[in-house]
Amino acid sequence: MRKAVLLAGILALAGVASAQTFVWPQKWTVAKPSEAKRGGTLRAAVISDYRTFNPFVTAESGNVPDLISGSRGLATRDPTTGDWIPYMAESWTISPNKLEITFKIRKGMKWSDGRPITADDWITTWRIHTDKAVGSNSYDSFFIDGKPIVLRKIDDYTIRFIYPKTDAEAFNIARFEPWPAHVFGPVYQREGAEGIKKMWTLNEKPENIVSGGPWLIESYRPGERLVLKRNPAFGEWNKDEAGNPLPYLDRYEIKIVKDVNAQLAEFLAGNIDLMAPSTVDHISQIRQAIQQGRLDATLKVNASPVASSQFMVFNWNKASDPFKQSLFRSDKFRRAMSHIVNRQAVIDVVYGGLGTPMYSSVYPVLTQWINPKVPKYEYNPQQAAKLLAELGFTKKDREGYLVDARGRRLEFNLATNAGNAQREQIAKLIVDEAKKVGVKVNFQAIDFNTLVGQLLSSGPDRPFDAIIIGLTGGGLDWPFGSNVVPCKGNLHMWNKSGQCLDPRETLMEKLYYQGRTELDFKKRVEIGYRMQEVEAELLPVIYIAGPNYHPAWNNRLGGEHPDAIISSIWGSRQVELTFIKK
Amino acid sequence: MANYILKRFLSLIPTFFGATFLAFLIIQMAPGDYLTQLELDPKVTPETIARLRAQFGLDRPFHEQYLLWMHNLLHLNLGYSFAYQAPVLEIVWPRVLNSMVLVVPSTILLFLIAVPVGVYGALRQYSLGDRVVSFLAYLGLAIPNFFLALILMYLVLQVYFRTGVMVFPVSGMTSSGFEQFSFWQKVVDVAWHAVLPIVVLTTSDIAGFSRIMRGQMLEALSQDYVRTARAKGLPERVVVYKHALRNAVIPIVANIGGILPTLISGAGLVEVVMAWPGITPLLLDAISQQDLYVVAGFLTMGLVLLMIGNLLSDLLLAWVDPRIRYE
Repeated sequence: MRKAVLLAGILALAGVASAQTFVWPQKWTVAKPSEAKRGGTLRAAVISDYRTFNPFVTAESGNVPDLISGSRGLATRDPTTGDWIPYMAESWTISPNKLEITFKIRKGMKWSDGRPITADDWITTWRIHTDKAVGSNSYDSFFIDGKPIVLRKIDDYTIRFIYPKTDAEAFNIARFEPWPAHVFGPVYQREGAEGIKKMWTLNEKPENIVSGGPWLIESYRPGERLVLKRNPAFGEWNKDEAGNPLPYLDRYEIKIVKDVNAQLAEFLAGNIDLMAPSTVDHISQIRQAIQQGRLDATLKVNASPVASSQFMVFNWNKASDPFKQSLFRSDKFRRAMSHIVNRQAVIDVVYGGLGTPMYSSVYPVLTQWINPKVPKYEYNPQQAAKLLAELGFTKKDREGYLVDARGRRLEFNLATNAGNAQREQIAKLIVDEAKKVGVKVNFQAIDFNTLVGQLLSSGPDRPFDAIIIGLTGGGLDWPFGSNVVPCKGNLHMWNKSGQCLDPRETLMEKLYYQGRTELDFKKRVEIGYRMQEVEAELLPVIYIAGPNYHPAWNNRLGGEHPDAIISSIWGSRQVELTFIKK
Repeated sequence: MANYILKRFLSLIPTFFGATFLAFLIIQMAPGDYLTQLELDPKVTPETIARLRAQFGLDRPFHEQYLLWMHNLLHLNLGYSFAYQAPVLEIVWPRVLNSMVLVVPSTILLFLIAVPVGVYGALRQYSLGDRVVSFLAYLGLAIPNFFLALILMYLVLQVYFRTGVMVFPVSGMTSSGFEQFSFWQKVVDVAWHAVLPIVVLTTSDIAGFSRIMRGQMLEALSQDYVRTARAKGLPERVVVYKHALRNAVIPIVANIGGILPTLISGAGLVEVVMAWPGITPLLLDAISQQDLYVVAGFLTMGLVLLMIGNLLSDLLLAWVDPRIRYE
């Protein structure tokens, strides 16, 4: 009897210990835990080569450190709701003034070399990321308006983030992945930043790379193939709802295939399991192969828009040409230009019918953030002509272009980067539509770096009229760019005079900071709605359209997301929950 | 002869400095730099970009950058890659070896096929065989390499769809699980992957090369000494191969030195299209990203090999061409 009590006690203790596991919710996948099979290899392909294994110097997205760590930190997002949920943290508390978040770190997590994952790992990782001499790409994310975010170790399993001001992206900042202090710490102490930069290059032996995430590096052949293998230590605290350790797969193999046609060929041949075709031609080839029974795969056409933008921006700083400057600063003119952008034609011609029109700086895929009541200034040449007439452009010259009372012709130069066929096509469509209403647009494709140089130049007289370019990135927490909205922002591309010129710019800047410091999601969305209203009125940038996301996978894979979550934000699956059916 | 070699060698020194300076200058003249791309990232502040620029030395004046680079170069250090954060040689060298797997066999094949084809064309000028060979040669010349590679990949896929047999791999240099293979399995695997790209490379080069050979041979056959040889009653075999051919190959031998830099310069777009981890994909990335020292370092390697190659050519020429004597 006493033995039984003791046993029950031990079991209870074991129960406490296993409470530290993170259970991957069933609702993230279509497969039930009982369906999932263990073992097998997932085969994918990427366009560009991997450059380093070092988490502190890596710069490209989808890099090796992100892959092996799973790119999750103390908190992660639930793709079904978008909410932050505890991940490597077990729980957290937020101080009443909302400037401090204290995370309780999950116990029982281990690095692949068997050492426990503790608060020291976060502290060391943060120290190295914020050392200027290291040159980490994450450096800026540890500062808010130039003021540092401070991490403090309370005990081995408690860590506190202290923010200089309340911040909507507090969790996004806290979610950075930790790296082993026992590996990087001693080198950093001995040799500083230079020592860190020399670590974990591509020449490092894979067995020396320590991971806290789902994968370990098995081998890497430069320019060819990265092979990852399951990290058993990860499965000790990551389980499915049936208690099976994750990931299910033994291996994750990523081929480096620079040419998308070759990628397609590999997918059609069944040599890779995942593909996200971006052209209509590729989509129809995959569809044909599926229909003719040559390929057993699933293709989700138009799953969602992608999180990127294409837009036309006018230069407000043209002191040398007051006529153009006042034109470009007129919201009526910009609205007229929005009315001549035939977004449906862009989608049909440039994206083969598989695209989404854009009217604001919030990507269409961020549906929660889109204010449906905001005016769109859709394609409408008559309206454009009317607005231009209101600006005094009522007569046409002999060549059919609009002129004002003083005989000045409505004409501007439009540039984009040469080699980007899609942007060049968009520009040509704009040239044609502009001509129809009597605006002369002189299109020129120029070198990317020259274009960026012009776009980001500052001062009262900048060397361009209008540019078509795009941006990617941007958060789910607060989808407005910290560099874009504030008038001093580096990417405040329309006006780089260093100050707000229009009262609506000032208002947007104010709203930006208000939203950034609002922690209540609902209230933040309201501020975001208001921002879009002001933005639509000011129309600093004319958004055009973007392509859609079309994931495809070989049907030997199971464990994809339910249809409702499949999007360019969440992808088609969590690799941890993916398994090989056959 | 020794005197000549010494003179040639000394003349290489100013050439080397001039050429590296030019290369460096041209790279630097391109607008923007490695960090320009980063400037459009909404997450990165201008201060960070300025800091990185200082760290990479990109904010220094041109001559300082060049002198620093030259200083490193003379210590056999080709510089540091921004993108890889590693020494250039460490990144470039494995790619050069991979490219050689394609370039060396295709060069050998080129000589083995193009020389006989050219000679055949010259001996049977305007015959049906000559016309067929010429036609095929021009066809090979007309189809761009990358396109031929795509066609072959398409054919391989069609065969696979119809029979379920993968005759050749669609792309890449090794199969999955390569690391676990035995040595001979590895060799066979790489060779199997190399067949299609080598076919593409060789076919396109044969065209031009065999035409040169044919022209040279025709010219040699019309020379007086050939007529004299024939008049002396020498057998046709001796006339053609001992007299005409020996003279016809002189310009080709003279160009052998030029092959050296091509050995390391990669196999071109075929590598990109067929996902072969050679030098071209790496170099294209480096150029488009303005990874300065990878491009400059690579150009320098090519330059040194070109200079050595030219020297070798001259020496070879002196050896095969009885008209040249350096005394």
